[in-house]
Amino acid sequence: MAYMLAEGLTFRYEDSPIHRRDPRAKLLLSICLFIVALSSNSVIHILIVLALISIPAMIANILKRMAKTLVFSLTFSVFIFVVNFAVGYDVMYSLTLALRFIAIVAAASLFFLTTSPDELEYVMRWMKLPRDFVFAFVTAVRFVPVLLLDLLQILDAQKSRGLEVERGGPVKRIRNLIPILIPLIVNALIRSGELAEAMEARGYGAVKRPTSLYVLSFDKWDAILSSLSVIGSVIFIYLSFLL
Amino acid sequence: MIKFESVTFIRPNGVVALKDINLEIEKNELVTIVGANGAGKTTLLKHMNGLLKPTKGRVLIDGVDTRKTSVASLSKKIGLVFQNPDHQLFSESVEAEIVFGLKNFGFDEREIKRRTEKILEFFGLKELRDRAPLTLSGGEKKRLCIAAVLAWDPDVLVLDEPTVGQDLQNRLKLYEVINELRRRGKGVIIVSHDIEFLWPLQARTIVMADGEILKDGPAYEVFMDRELLKAARIRQPQLAELSTKLSLNFPFKGVEDAVERLLRSD
Ligand SMILES: Nc1ncnc2c1ncn2[C@@H]1O[C@H](COP(=O)(O)OP(=O)(O)OP(=O)(O)O)[C@@H](O)[C@H]1O
Ligand SMILES: [Mg+2]
Repeated sequence: MAYMLAEGLTFRYEDSPIHRRDPRAKLLLSICLFIVALSSNSVIHILIVLALISIPAMIANILKRMAKTLVFSLTFSVFIFVVNFAVGYDVMYSLTLALRFIAIVAAASLFFLTTSPDELEYVMRWMKLPRDFVFAFVTAVRFVPVLLLDLLQILDAQKSRGLEVERGGPVKRIRNLIPILIPLIVNALIRSGELAEAMEARGYGAVKRPTSLYVLSFDKWDAILSSLSVIGSVIFIYLSFLL
Repeated sequence: MIKFESVTFIRPNGVVALKDINLEIEKNELVTIVGANGAGKTTLLKHMNGLLKPTKGRVLIDGVDTRKTSVASLSKKIGLVFQNPDHQLFSESVEAEIVFGLKNFGFDEREIKRRTEKILEFFGLKELRDRAPLTLSGGEKKRLCIAAVLAWDPDVLVLDEPTVGQDLQNRLKLYEVINELRRRGKGVIIVSHDIEFLWPLQARTIVMADGEILKDGPAYEVFMDRELLKAARIRQPQLAELSTKLSLNFPFKGVEDAVERLLRSD
């Protein structure tokens, strides 16, 4: 299970016309889809948005992994539906809200599944965000799969020592997490300490404006994708208010 | 007895980590497993206590299919010690770390006390009993991990890469532990890249490559077969290499053996 989760969250490089785009174009595309999803107020509209998202996802060959992410967001979405319905909204409205959540997650995951942590870093720097903040954010993103792998190994080790996570009453079950959480946290701390030392040893923070090995370049295709995104979403929103 | 019946294991991402493995290991045997990175050694070990279940075929421990029982009950018989101590040490003291497994396996208080004392003594951890495991040195951590498993007295001790980062003293201690277990009729299975450590043991040796068993035989046969070693991407132990270069029929088992035979022959 945890392995599936790691699989769904981690970026894997694939060579596709979408992956090759400038990260800023991908970000714009995702934001446009995000806004379109937010502004849709009927089930039909949201289904159209989901279909729209699936086109670049299909081209990027990430449909399967996106589906995995969506399966996880489904639990939240069911929750949203139940709460709204219970509070007294009608079925259609509650369903719209629940589906909208899935569409929003899909729009966001389109960006994260096609953009490497490196590219993410360049975009954030291009936005002139503080360097330490950018670094902390990108590192956190990179650490997620590493932590999940740690978690798998810790689970194996403690199970081999007779730990049965799912045994006992509620209190016992929470106590069962201690042998798993402590090594997980300790390993994360060890890692971050080592990382900090290694970074400093390699001159992190030595100059105010470090140079970059890769320079973002916005080409013809990026321009086409971006114009399509903006024009398409304006039309979509305009039509959805009209109809 | 540990028995693999045409076991194939395919990972969720499609990697075939084990291919049609057939294997029988008696409970009192000393077995070493070698092979390049990614050969499938750890995957094989994880099948022995049910952490992983075969995609095809079955694994039997004392005749019981690992699919039909729990990891905990299998671990009681087959004690696995993984490579990285930091993935398992969590208690506030060395003593508590040893008690953890004993509690899981339901020993009563008196028995827990008795076993803890015995194992602390045997592993030379008595002075460290109140120390936080995280503050121990790498070698002490490793010793503690092995001690924590041996405390419940499994029939077979399984060690994954036990010598990584271990100094001379700890390596000698490891030989001592292995010999002691053998004397008591226990089984020991060791996965290691450290062939110089394995060679003096002269154990039954299983060579793995790409999820398959290339060869299963005594160390003096396996490590004298240069073709095999090349295929498995493993180096020859130095004494075996020397024996090969001297065209000996039977290789030197250790330095003493070599000295004695060389002095006798001239
Ligand atoms: N958690 C995992 N997820 C996906 N694939 C894995 C995982 N663990 C191992 N593998 C893959 O399974 C295969 C066998 O790995 P295994 O860990 O059993 O090798 P090994 O012989 O123990 O190697 P090493 O000497 O490096 O420890 C390899 O191809 C490896 O990449
Ligand atoms: Mg391994």
